[in-house]
Amino acid sequence: MNLEKVIFGFFIILACTLNFGFVIGDLDRVDLHHPSELFAALVVNLIATVLKFGDRTHIGATHLATSLVALVQLVAASLAWMWQLYIRHQAMDGEMISIVVSLSAGALVANMISVILLIGETLKQSR
Amino acid sequence: MGDILFLVLRRMRAPLIALILAYAISVLGLVLVPGQDGAGAPARMGFFHAFYVVSYTATTIGFGELPWVFTDAQRAWVTFTIYLSVTCWAYTVGSIFALVQDQTFRGAVARSRFAGRVRLLDEPFYILVGYGQSGTSLAHAFDDLGVRSVILELRPERAARPDIEIFREQPLALAADARWPDVLRDAGVTHPRCKALVVMVSEDEVAQAVAIGASALNPRLPVIARVHSALARDNLEGFGNITVIDPFETFGTNLRLSISAPAVLWVEEWLSSVPGSSCPRPASIPRGHWLILGYGRFGHAVAQALEETGSTWEAIDTDLKLPDHPHLRHCNNSVQSLNQAGIEQAVGVVACTDRDATNLALISRARKLKPGLCVIIRQNHVADRSLIEAAQADMCFVKADVMVRECLQLLVAPLLNRFLMEIRARGPALAEAVAVRLLTELEERVPHIWSFACLAAYPGLREVLADGCPSPLRLGELLINPTDPSQRLAAVALVLLRGNDTHFLPDADMVLASGDHILFAGRAGVESLQGRFLLDPSPVSYVRTGIEPPRTWLFRWAARHAEQRRHRRRTAAAPRHE
Repeated sequence: MNLEKVIFGFFIILACTLNFGFVIGDLDRVDLHHPSELFAALVVNLIATVLKFGDRTHIGATHLATSLVALVQLVAASLAWMWQLYIRHQAMDGEMISIVVSLSAGALVANMISVILLIGETLKQSR
Repeated sequence: MGDILFLVLRRMRAPLIALILAYAISVLGLVLVPGQDGAGAPARMGFFHAFYVVSYTATTIGFGELPWVFTDAQRAWVTFTIYLSVTCWAYTVGSIFALVQDQTFRGAVARSRFAGRVRLLDEPFYILVGYGQSGTSLAHAFDDLGVRSVILELRPERAARPDIEIFREQPLALAADARWPDVLRDAGVTHPRCKALVVMVSEDEVAQAVAIGASALNPRLPVIARVHSALARDNLEGFGNITVIDPFETFGTNLRLSISAPAVLWVEEWLSSVPGSSCPRPASIPRGHWLILGYGRFGHAVAQALEETGSTWEAIDTDLKLPDHPHLRHCNNSVQSLNQAGIEQAVGVVACTDRDATNLALISRARKLKPGLCVIIRQNHVADRSLIEAAQADMCFVKADVMVRECLQLLVAPLLNRFLMEIRARGPALAEAVAVRLLTELEERVPHIWSFACLAAYPGLREVLADGCPSPLRLGELLINPTDPSQRLAAVALVLLRGNDTHFLPDADMVLASGDHILFAGRAGVESLQGRFLLDPSPVSYVRTGIEPPRTWLFRWAARHAEQRRHRRRTAAAPRHE
């Protein structure tokens, strides 16, 4: 067992699961999507991205690309939330939460690709 | 660039993760800790405000307590946040500084900048491998000719030297092992503007590896390698594009020429030295009995050259490990051993040891025993030049000078090399004729050498080189200043090449044909003036008539019109005279 692989896999899968946890629920119901979960997903995604730095293989580059996509989508979702609360000074409504959730759903797809890559890489190991 | 980015990303992984975790914990804590709004009602901070507060606290900017005054619980958490985040920042910044100081990182940055600058070169350049004495001289010689050099040198302290030496165009230098193919590629071996690669390293094995590597990467690139052993020479001579120079052997050839045909050697040195430097003295070395002091590799080359000219020799060496030879005496350099070697009947001595001080001592001892000896001395270090010059030897061997001359001859004008070989074959009469022409038509300096291609494909020469042209181009017309026809260009046509025929010192009224190549020697700048003949036909007719022909259709029409009117007036005026 390789500790590096454990940490790597842990963060990639955690990024995917947290993202899933935030996205699940009706698209336009504010009470089903908690900001803390979006925050956690964003932080774990950041860490997963940094963990992928410096891998020069082709699959490493694809890994990094998927993480960057997820990051862009999650940051966009957080900015949308911030816009509604602190710049327009209005409470979260159904229209806005649906934008946030759909953006993070996009991030979820990228995170899933990341997990698929991880599984593929694991299966490729001939041991 | 990619290398640096990956190195930074890999090294910064741990500090960045620490920073992200510190921010995440701090923000989450601030969101969870209960607070109060301005009216005293319980209120929690949102993620946005929490991130804002942590951002300015972690970077020690500190805007105060926002958006409302903090409760004590919040203050406790912020205190913890300060210590956590500032520690993490210190760690990150420290890692960045450590990375910048790191040798590997700096090497990668230097390499990547070097490769980038070489890639962007859009002028012809030479690659020099090895920046010792010969490399330094050659780089400066190329600089004088206005050609850039790219330098690869293994030792960093030597590779840094071009930065503090004075060049017109700073060479690009990298401290790296040129035996690695990727280093050669970064230095531009496969670059389309790379003209040649010159290897001047002390070890023959390294020289071989570099030369073979370069010619494997780019089989069309001319490669010149300096080697000292016959084995290395045999290995390299199988490659068509590699030219091997053995400075000892070259000097041996020169010595042979200076005994049998001094004029040939004089012209050779004159035409192949660094352009603009002063003209070399004609050396005349007598035939007879010679003493060779120091029978190493250089001594061997000298002995062989002397033998070929019919001279006799006796060698002295202090090294007892040298194999025996009938003409070699294993003894010290004392007065007694000089006498035993026959200094009385000698015409000259050659000081061949690899120590300059020893050479000087030997020369002065020999001169004391027999004044008026012809003296040849070997100079090992560039720094000792003034000492060696003070000895006033008749001939001096400096490895770097021999290398520079040979390289310039081979690289700058390949036609010159052919010309000099031909002079060597034809003998002193032709050499003297060349020397007379150079002395009468140019000043006593080393001229610039260039070849002029007379091709009908050039728009400027198309008409005058065409078959059946009533006034074909003559060689003399190329020697008139195209900007001022009253002046001659300071240049001498050394040789004209037409197919397999070579015409030495061609006459000015020689009619040129398309496909002729002419080798000129002349002052700097004449080459570019001559280049004007190639681009458009007006300079040729200007040097013939002194009138600048109109270039555009409208003015040509106007000129023709004026000419016709003049003609009509002349024919109309003619009968009145009768």
